[in-house]
Amino acid sequence: MRKRLVSMLLAGCMVVSLCGCGKTAAGDTATDTTSTDSGTEEAATEEAAAVPGEVFGDTVQYDPNVPINNGEDIKIDFWEWGSDELFQQIVDGYTAIHPNVQIELVNNPWEDYWTKLPLALDGKDGPAIFNIHNSYHQNIVNYCAPYDIPTEDLEKDFNGVAAHVIDGNVYYIDYGIMTGSVYYNKDMWEAAGLTDADIPKTWDDMIAVAKKLTIKDGDNIVQAGWSFNDNVNSNYLMGVNYQLGQNLFDTDNKTCVVDNDATKKVFQMLIDAYDKEGVGSKDFGTSATDSFGQGQAAMAIAWGWFNNTLQSDYPDINYGVFEIPTFDGDPYAYNRYNGESTFGINKNADEKQQAVAQDIVKYFLANDELQVKFNLAMNTFPAKTSLADNEEILSNKAMAAIADHIDKYIWPGPVPATVEDSLKIAAENVFYNDMSIDEALKTAQDTINNDLKSKNFEAVESLYKYAK
Amino acid sequence: MFKKQHALQSKSEIALRNIVVSGTLIFYLIFLIVPIGIALVGSFHEWNPLDGTYRFLGLENYINIMKSGDFWNSIWNTILFSVVVIFFRVGLGFLCAYAIFSSLIKFKGFYRAIYYMPVVTPMIAVAYVWKFIYHPQIGLLNHLLGTHVNWLMNANTALIAIMAMTIWKDFGYAVVMFMAGLYSLPEDAMEAAKVDGCTGVQLLRYVTLPLLKPMTLFVVVTSIINYLQAYVQVMVMTEGGPGKATYLSSYIIYNEAFVKYNFGYASAMAFILFVVTAVLTVISFRVSADKV
Repeated sequence: MRKRLVSMLLAGCMVVSLCGCGKTAAGDTATDTTSTDSGTEEAATEEAAAVPGEVFGDTVQYDPNVPINNGEDIKIDFWEWGSDELFQQIVDGYTAIHPNVQIELVNNPWEDYWTKLPLALDGKDGPAIFNIHNSYHQNIVNYCAPYDIPTEDLEKDFNGVAAHVIDGNVYYIDYGIMTGSVYYNKDMWEAAGLTDADIPKTWDDMIAVAKKLTIKDGDNIVQAGWSFNDNVNSNYLMGVNYQLGQNLFDTDNKTCVVDNDATKKVFQMLIDAYDKEGVGSKDFGTSATDSFGQGQAAMAIAWGWFNNTLQSDYPDINYGVFEIPTFDGDPYAYNRYNGESTFGINKNADEKQQAVAQDIVKYFLANDELQVKFNLAMNTFPAKTSLADNEEILSNKAMAAIADHIDKYIWPGPVPATVEDSLKIAAENVFYNDMSIDEALKTAQDTINNDLKSKNFEAVESLYKYAK
Repeated sequence: MFKKQHALQSKSEIALRNIVVSGTLIFYLIFLIVPIGIALVGSFHEWNPLDGTYRFLGLENYINIMKSGDFWNSIWNTILFSVVVIFFRVGLGFLCAYAIFSSLIKFKGFYRAIYYMPVVTPMIAVAYVWKFIYHPQIGLLNHLLGTHVNWLMNANTALIAIMAMTIWKDFGYAVVMFMAGLYSLPEDAMEAAKVDGCTGVQLLRYVTLPLLKPMTLFVVVTSIINYLQAYVQVMVMTEGGPGKATYLSSYIIYNEAFVKYNFGYASAMAFILFVVTAVLTVISFRVSADKV
């Protein structure tokens, strides 16, 4: 009897686990979306995508009345990672205009995407169109076909296009830009007697405010006023240096120069903030963003993605966002940014499929509604210049914080991972292993330049609008 | 293939044998031997399969590895990690197995299951849980000890913390193996020792331990192979930090291959690790050979 009971329990567990597997599999694998499936239950329950009748777009325009593939049926694959619902809106909108096109949306987990994609693109059956992240530029760009949109048209509509021009061609651009801003806990702010007027503009102000926000029990910190644990490299050593006019790369655009006075000054400011001013501690919280989310830190600098994380993982945190402080109020640039990229087109795909992919890119670039949706979803500021004043965009905390000086952020280019990794080691060596700043930065610079020898990387800091 | 036929073997039995053996051989050929061959050749190249880079370098990768301070640091960490973890895995495993084996202990199956549960739990899950245990503010360990130590971001404690977690997770394997060994000990030898007047300690020292040497060797050798490849716990708990304090060889290999895409350099490192593993395994066998 007992064995039978155990058997039934185990069988029950197996059924439950199999159900779990099924659900996961559905979420992680291909999602087939067929434009011609308009009669399905799914389509019937969802609001039908609007079909525009007129040409739309600014300089890059899209004419929905021009048939694609001569109106003949065609199927293409569209690869992306983790944003099914978002990409589904492109698919729905596009296939409503062109019902002869069937788009299979294939969602790969991020971890697998970057090994599977280049191998798929190298063969004949790779996706005709795919999502790109510029950190994998070097592994992907050789498989991309250039956009058949004139570069000058792209430049009229979008910021930062010049940085993406390779031998006169554009393979992808940014539809949005993301950077670091200061997230602050409004409840802690109020409890410390601070108001909006106290929002710091300079680093000195930031430290002064952080001191008011710090709570201690004897020598132990209970609440950090400002935490930068685990992100000194990405949010400070690779960004605040620009405020002092110091690029990450030399004028040859190939040699990394992180061992410099400006970066040392930034480093020293952070050490002093903890050790002299006591606004936090290297041992209080393992990550600044986690500490902020857990209500243990009042301020933390994070990029736009953190806005999503707070809403999804820490919905009880009452927070605001303000622009990163500067040393003197008139920085060379406020910070480094990185772009969310438009889609790549597979040069090895069938010509007809490539033509459809080119058409989808044009549809996406010309479509303001999609541009806004994508930027809101990714917490990026639109690269499309006409959307800089868009109300929906400016209602987003992360974007509103950077809107006033959006042209004063620098993109260094698709920087290889060794830069961020080596500076992470440098930061840990200084904060935890008692290494001097000089030695840590010199070691990092040597490692980076050694690694860059095998990379075909060229920085684009010189293309910054206010480059000296 | 396999034409020699035993008198009692039927043709269908021989066919089945051939299919099973050939299938296994083909499987290992495709998924083990060929990839190892490709990696060996790749180790002499600048190689990034994702962007198509493949340039012959000769021994340059190996020379650079030998000159690399990070590599030697990781080798030292890996050996230290392996020796300590294996020592405690074998020691604790044997002590627990011997205690459970005692006739005084009831519910032996329960204890065996309890000790073995961490072994079957995925390392990645265990590592995440222990990362929370080590958290400087909300971690259980500091709470119990009344301390404020940042266990995983202190160069003096980070590797020790990872070792402790690994020992906790893995020593149950040794418990089960030693229990199997204890149950298979020849009863006549044990009885004879008792008749001759052996005390409990003498029985353990002069009879039980010598008879368990083959099992001990097996646990040690499989542990060497396992721990020289330790990677997941470092990836999850410290990412090699603080600085490079917890760099293990496999972590560097992963980093070179899948972060920096230096597949040639990573392959060369993997081959050096392969040689180190083979040498240590042979030494273990040699040291034990005359005593087993």
